[in-house]
Amino acid sequence: MNFASLSAQALLAAFVLYCAAFLLSVLAITGKRWSNRDPGEHARRFGWIAFIVSAVGFACHVVYFFARWRAAGHIPTSNMYEFLTFLAMMIILAYIIVFLIYRLPVLGVFALPVGFIVIAYASVFPHDVQPLIPSLQSNWLKIHVTTAAAGEAFFAVGFASGLMYLLRTADYRDSSKPAGAERTALELTLFVIVLLIAFIGSTLGFNAAGYKAQFVKEVTVTDKAGQEQTITQIEQYVLPPIAAPYGSRLESMTPFLGMKEPLFVTPSWMNGVNAGRKLNTIIWTVLTGLILYGVLRLIARRPLGAVVQPLLKGMDPEDLDEIGYRSIAIGYPIYTLGALVFAMIWANEAWGRFWGWDPKEVWALITWLFYAAFLHLRLSRGWQGKRSAWLAVSGFIVVMFTLVGVNLLIAGLHSYAGV
Amino acid sequence: MIENTKCECGHQNAVGTVLCESCGKPLSEELLRGTGPLEMRYDGVARRSMRANPTPIDRVWNFFSSVKVAVYLIIVTLLAASLGTIFQQENMFINRDPAFLLSYYKENYGWFGELYYRLGLSRTFESWWFRGLLFMIGTSLVVCSLDRVLPLYRALKNQQIRKHPTFILRQKVSYAATLPLDAHPSEPSGPADQEEAARRWVERMSAILKKQRYRVHTDGTALLAEKNRFSRWGPYINHIGLIIFLLAALARSVPGWHMDEYYGFLEGQTQKIPNTPYYLKNEKFTVDFYKPEELPEGMRNQGALVPKMYETQAVLYRCAADCDDPSKQPVLEEVARHNILVNHPLKYKGLLAYQYDWQETPQLISVRATLKNRQTGEAYGSFVLDMKQPQDSYVAGPYQLKLRGYYPEFAFENGAPVTKSNDPKAPAFIFTITGPDLPPEGEPYIYFPREIDREQFGQDAINGALGRKLELAVGSMDDVQVALYTSWLNIRVDKPLPYIWVGAAITVIGLAMGFYWQHRRIWLRIDGDRLLFGAHTNKNWYGLRREAAYALNRAGIAVDAKTLETGGKRS
Amino acid sequence: MQIAILLILAIVGAFTVGGSLFRDNDLPQVGGRAPDFALVGLDGKTHRLSDYRGKLVMVNFWGTFCPPCKEEMPAIEKQYQKWRDAGFEVLAVNLAESKVTVDSFVKQLNLTFPILLDDRMEIRKTYGVVNYPTTFLIDQSGKIALKKEGQMDESFIEQNLIKWLGKM
Repeated sequence: MNFASLSAQALLAAFVLYCAAFLLSVLAITGKRWSNRDPGEHARRFGWIAFIVSAVGFACHVVYFFARWRAAGHIPTSNMYEFLTFLAMMIILAYIIVFLIYRLPVLGVFALPVGFIVIAYASVFPHDVQPLIPSLQSNWLKIHVTTAAAGEAFFAVGFASGLMYLLRTADYRDSSKPAGAERTALELTLFVIVLLIAFIGSTLGFNAAGYKAQFVKEVTVTDKAGQEQTITQIEQYVLPPIAAPYGSRLESMTPFLGMKEPLFVTPSWMNGVNAGRKLNTIIWTVLTGLILYGVLRLIARRPLGAVVQPLLKGMDPEDLDEIGYRSIAIGYPIYTLGALVFAMIWANEAWGRFWGWDPKEVWALITWLFYAAFLHLRLSRGWQGKRSAWLAVSGFIVVMFTLVGVNLLIAGLHSYAGV
Repeated sequence: MIENTKCECGHQNAVGTVLCESCGKPLSEELLRGTGPLEMRYDGVARRSMRANPTPIDRVWNFFSSVKVAVYLIIVTLLAASLGTIFQQENMFINRDPAFLLSYYKENYGWFGELYYRLGLSRTFESWWFRGLLFMIGTSLVVCSLDRVLPLYRALKNQQIRKHPTFILRQKVSYAATLPLDAHPSEPSGPADQEEAARRWVERMSAILKKQRYRVHTDGTALLAEKNRFSRWGPYINHIGLIIFLLAALARSVPGWHMDEYYGFLEGQTQKIPNTPYYLKNEKFTVDFYKPEELPEGMRNQGALVPKMYETQAVLYRCAADCDDPSKQPVLEEVARHNILVNHPLKYKGLLAYQYDWQETPQLISVRATLKNRQTGEAYGSFVLDMKQPQDSYVAGPYQLKLRGYYPEFAFENGAPVTKSNDPKAPAFIFTITGPDLPPEGEPYIYFPREIDREQFGQDAINGALGRKLELAVGSMDDVQVALYTSWLNIRVDKPLPYIWVGAAITVIGLAMGFYWQHRRIWLRIDGDRLLFGAHTNKNWYGLRREAAYALNRAGIAVDAKTLETGGKRS
Repeated sequence: MQIAILLILAIVGAFTVGGSLFRDNDLPQVGGRAPDFALVGLDGKTHRLSDYRGKLVMVNFWGTFCPPCKEEMPAIEKQYQKWRDAGFEVLAVNLAESKVTVDSFVKQLNLTFPILLDDRMEIRKTYGVVNYPTTFLIDQSGKIALKKEGQMDESFIEQNLIKWLGKM
């Protein structure tokens, strides 16, 4: 039994099922006025069908997880790909739990996409099973990463609810300045999501088409024996190089749309690891994101938020507010336990100190403080509702920065997620 | 000093009380006339910080007991922490000489880096102002909690069952109805019967609520049902946990309670751990790499050497005597022995040695040299020649070798012998040998333990006639002691550590208590045939409404959860 | 009760903030106290830094493998001869070389000031010496007046001696 291929297939099945459940959830909301169905009955029935489908998808996802565990010999949470797919699994689980409490089909319209977009994002990173370096060989790895992801999953559902609240309560007819500012902020948030989709799409697309560009650079390295060696460092681009890495020579590149050479060189003051490739990726993301957004706007003829808003018409904003708050309230103790306490225990065991102000640790603390502020602000009336929703949305951005941004942008002990 | 506000029910309330502590009636005229839901924070009881005419002490207290201030502190701390992640912090370096650091930040991060360093942001987490922020958060935790927990405890301890009608109706979840209280429809009902029927209705409701795990107290025609009060203490418990955690973290500044250093131990060497009475010996270091087959293809091609496992066989000694006398060797006794692997440190009485890193540092430790007759091959005697601290003289049979000069890394400079470093990379020993057939003042003899040095420097040419007669040689590889690796260990002491865990555990327990259960209360009273029903919770109104609706439905009143949410509009 | 709590908090606060403000930032700096030490000299006697309190002490970290250390030795010897009666002392701390090596070198150059053997490399760590030669000038009250990394020439030594001896 080839567990590796079973796991890949199971994940694909889960992904497809989540997409299907999403569509069914949309149908549950929009199809209400079709034929002569009773709208309440229709919503409830399709809401349940969507839920069942997502539950089956979740089962497949769990199969993926354990099959990969078997294939790899260690719990599959040790690199970016594995961790993100696990996070997606937790997000769906959190969605399932919150759905069972509140029974609202519209939750699926927003929570499920968070789940499958995270899977899609995960697939951008290298999939292969890698051996564990000594510092990752510990039981606490399993406990810390899984618990932290579970907590973050609930924050993701809170994010979805917050977004729903904002879309529900945005007034697209009010022409006053504050309302306009709010709509712009909301649209910007949706644009960021479009950017993410564009990033995933372009990376996967070029990857699938087998695009490659290669740069070489001679670098002097001192190895463990104290010897200096000059080695050739190869930097591979999956996206057509608009920005070439600094100090490197172009070795080969597939021409793209008549472009045979990089358009410019990454400035030398950007000197992180793989700065050139990252800058190139950012440029591509922004370009494709703008194009995608532009096309969507052209089709819709109005702000994207206005397109989505009708889906939420039947929702009581206070309920959305409550779901958002409740999700975060459920997730907060789990997050504290997983991302801070278990992390401290593992750090103490592996590195001999429970806290070292390492960037990842600091950002986990920042996330924790952020949600602490959120929970305290909710004690005062003025901070419930819209402000709370904005905080829930921003909080998840902080979470994603902690998970992804720190690894990519900031170096440290923690950045062994493989990318 | 403290004015009294006496309620119509007869109870004396402290100044600042919003709702009468006893019957719940809103105390201010303004509040009474309003229509919104009542503010149920702390059940409307006055907090300590609400006194009139605050003294300076009161002002300080009020400042720290404010949630708004706490939120500001949290936000400022959060922002400050994020600044500390922009560039590498100084504590990454072992050498923290200011000149070196300034040039490092300047070279690697440009003018922004220099600014970062000069502002002290490269030391964010050790700075006085950041620690001050954490201290203020700690203070806020203490003051906020004390300010609120005592009045809350008092309020919840002696709750009155029969609350004022306004109190009940202006709860966020409330309901009013006229009850059909004819217990026996065929009989005429007078006021006494009505009251009897009401009592029975309350009894029934009490049973229903008890099934839903409420603790119910009845007072004839009034009822108070309460559930999960312990959940209210959750926030205070988690605050206590955080305070313990912070205090434990602070306690590490106490001298002797905390150490975190990195030391390199050459194989075979016993070295003192500074600031402790301990010595550690690295008996042997082994490292195992993943074989190319075990690596994924991508890594295989890069020729990367990925370590699978590395360990130090370590022995820990404690100095028993002569510890501080530099003229004597310390007397050591073995106290612990452990194979240190990553994640598996050596532990002894609070001292921990973690495997951190390693380096290939091949070094000659000592050789066992034998003095032989070059022509006949007769061996006169042998001795161990140490590369670090060789002795002044050696004896080999009838010969005595006095050590005149020792050069660990031998080289010729301007015709004179010098040593290029203190590491035995190319050791050379200059002896004066005395003995049979040799002049009384002795003859010089230079010895290079390494074959390669012997050839390079022409040992035989230098030694001349004596070299043809005598030879100093190493027998086999068994006579050569070599160290291959230096193992870097992280030595730590952390006395307050257990309390860190205690604080963390208490925090999580408090969080769970506060967020996974909710404190729910239901009040109802029947006056005549009029039912007044009100309910309150600190979180999860959705669940409370459903529960209340369920209970009322079971008692025969058809309501759904949504209609119970009056928002206090009823009066 | 309020006062008591605020008072306790104030003390804790002072400890917290003061701890990071006044921490003896581990390594000895100019203006700070010179850590005491005891080492055995080539003469076989144990020398303590505190034995020389009241004198201007030059603690020079050196090794025979370090050319600039060797080059500055004659200059130090000359200045030592010149100013020792005025209350100047030199303690040359050798960095864990074998006695033989140090002995032959000292005899070669005819050095008369105490040579101390830091065979366990502890004093080097305490003083945070990373480069050789490193010289500390410790004033009569035991505080570090000067830290110099690198070779010193005679005029440099003399200028500083005059400056610091004059401050008696």
